[in-house]
Formats: sequence, structure tokens, C-alpha cells
Amino acid sequence: MTNLHNAAEEEQLAHFMQRIERGDKIEADDWMPEEYRLTLIRLISMHGISEIMGALPEKEWVPKAPSLNRKLGIMAKVQDEMGHGQLLLRVTEDLLLPYGKNRGDIMQDLFNGNLKFHNVFHMETKTWADAGIIGWLVDGAAIITQTNMLNASYGPYARALQRICAEEVFHAQHGESIIMALAEGTEEQKAMIQESLDRWWEALLMFFGPASKETTGSSKQDLTIKYKIRTKTNEEFRQLFFDKYIPRILSLGLRIPDPTIRFDEESKLWSYKQPDWNEFKKIIKNGGPRSHARLNLRRSSYENNAWVRDALSVKVT
Amino acid sequence: MTEEKTFYQEYEVFSKRTPSSAFQHQFSLLAPNEDMAFILAQENFMRREPVADIWIVNRKSIRKMDVEEKMTLGRLDNKDYRTTKGYGYLKKKWRQYEQQILDEKEILSWGGERK
Repeated sequence: MTNLHNAAEEEQLAHFMQRIERGDKIEADDWMPEEYRLTLIRLISMHGISEIMGALPEKEWVPKAPSLNRKLGIMAKVQDEMGHGQLLLRVTEDLLLPYGKNRGDIMQDLFNGNLKFHNVFHMETKTWADAGIIGWLVDGAAIITQTNMLNASYGPYARALQRICAEEVFHAQHGESIIMALAEGTEEQKAMIQESLDRWWEALLMFFGPASKETTGSSKQDLTIKYKIRTKTNEEFRQLFFDKYIPRILSLGLRIPDPTIRFDEESKLWSYKQPDWNEFKKIIKNGGPRSHARLNLRRSSYENNAWVRDALSVKVT
Repeated sequence: MTEEKTFYQEYEVFSKRTPSSAFQHQFSLLAPNEDMAFILAQENFMRREPVADIWIVNRKSIRKMDVEEKMTLGRLDNKDYRTTKGYGYLKKKWRQYEQQILDEKEILSWGGERK
């Protein structure tokens, strides 16, 4: 009986891998190996909750934006991020169905530390230039990883990313517009961007994660590549980020806060000073500068609104 | 049958860009009722795109196909007689009679003004 069961499962797995190799799109109701399902749940729940947690450092700048137009622009971006979170949580929830878990469970996982949010959103924002750097370079980094998954083997995720990436183009240009105004402004404004870039540089390197699993003891990159969810490694993303953004940063008269960084013509690779990966390990365990404050903000708003959810709940059979 | 209260109901969202276009599936969302589903549909999926109409459908009302049923949808590639592909030779024939074939593009253009 067990042998028969195993044989049937092996056949299903072989058929599934053929579909992946062929470039078929896997849909929520299709059979999939548990490893694939769990890889997707980890990736997409983290992506979704990071969109929501990522709106928090930006929303801090809504009341402080320097003009009405800037206020409207950043409010639209914050709203987009929450919308992206909704899309991605929906994709996750359909994957969680066999485990009987719903959005309430996802929120609890966030609050109790089982579900992590992206390392870059644990950082502090100090000046208006940070709002520009986030839109220009943090969203730029996100665009690099997300566009790589536009053809992901999981159909619902690929479709969500199509919508998300279209809006990311607006986010990137919104950030560029803030940076451009400061870069062409007073000496004080120029110094403000440089100071912001100096503070964010390490976080931007950490954004893509360590090159190999030796750093933190685990990495999802091999699995996501095996299942054709993405095609590039963390380091390839980081190199692409350097290719695209270093010339632009320098063109504005800004300095990269790493005197060792250089492009090797032969290998076509950038060599650079590694960020402090011990700090990274601390951040991803919710030990970053703003981890607790942002989790508390999310938790208190969830708790304060509990009565709304309760009042609007309906009985289902 | 267990009965429980929930805030989270799944709705599928359809919309059309213009009054004359066809409805298109957009995505799904969670909402406690239809009114909230309409609000969230606009907030989540229609912040920029033009939109002329929205439908929301509770997933409980959708009958989906299972794997076996989907397999019945495959077609054999032997039905040329159902399509213009099976009559492609006519183009050459009409040319012999110094006439042009009345193809799909030509025929569907007849709804307009007489040229």
C-alpha cells in the first residue's frame, strides 16, 4: 500500500516537474509538491507583509512632505503599497487553504515573529531625502527582484507582479523627482541626499540578501530557482543594481560611501565592501533599529480595529 | 456542518474599461460583504486604469472545474472544416478568376458605411 502510494506520488511529482520545465503556469488548485507550496508561502507572505510594513516608514513623511503636491504623491505611493500587500496576501491565502489558515493567522504570525518582513523596512528614516532615497533606490532594488519573477512558474504570483511592477515605475520616478529637486537645490539640500545615501548604502546592499546560505545558515534562492520562481541569484541581483544605479548616483555628483568599490572589466563584476552580515542577522530576527516600533504600530492598529472586524463579520456555513 | 463567524469572505472581481468593452477578471479580494467588496475592488485594482463597470462574485457562487474536467477541454487537431483554415485554397482559386477572396477582415468591414 505504502509502495503504491509512493509510486503514485512520484509520478505526480515527475509530471509536475515536467510542467515546470515546460514553462507551464501552476495554478492554485493544481497539484503541487509540498516543498513548492511552502517555498511560495514563505516567499509571497513575506513579500506581501513587507509591502504593508514598508508603507510605515513612508507614511511617516505624509504629514511632513514639503508641499501639497509632494504630499499627494507620497500618499498615492503609500496607498499603492497597501494595495500590493492586499494582492500578495490574497495569493498567499489561497496557498494556505490546505492548512486551514487565513489572513488573521498571517497577522498573528507577523506579531509573534514567525513571519518576517523585509530587512530594509526595519530601518529608521530621518530626513525628507530618505523619502527620495527609498523611492529611487529601495524601490529600484525591489524592481530588480520583482521583474525577475514576472514569469514565475506560479501563475497567481506572476499576475500579481504584473500589476505591482507597473505601479513600481511610478514609485521609482516619484523618488527620482524628490532626489532631482534636492540634487539641483542648495548646498544644504545636496548634503542632505549625500548624508541619506551614506546611511542607506549598507541597507541597500543587504536588500538582496547574502550571496550564499553560509551567512545565515539558510537561503531560499536555490529552491526558488529550481522551481523557476526566479532565475537570478542574490548576488546577480546586487550586481545588476550596481550596473543600473551607480552611474546615475555618480552623475548627480553624489559619492558612493565605499572607497573600495570598483568595476572589474574582465569579470564584468563589481567588487565592493561587504555589509555587516551580523547586523543583517540581527535585523531579520526583528532586532533592527525600528523593528519593534513598527510591529507595535501594526499590532495596535490591528487591535484598535478589532471591533470593526467583529461588527462586520457574518455567519458562514 | 459547522457555523462560524468570519470577516474574511473571498470575492472575485471583474471590471470593464469602457461601456462597450467586455468584462475582464481582475483579481480576488477579501471583504466582509458586497458593499465593502465594491469599495476594496476600486481601492485595490482601479486606482489609475479607467473603469466603466464592476462586478463582484462571492467565490461560493463559482463552480470550478476539477482536474479531470479540465482534461476534457483538449481538442483534436482535425477540425479544419470548422475554420477558414480548411478553405485557404480559395484565395488562390479566386485569383484565377481575377477576384479577391472575401476574408474575415473584408466581411467584418461591411458593417460600416458603403465605400
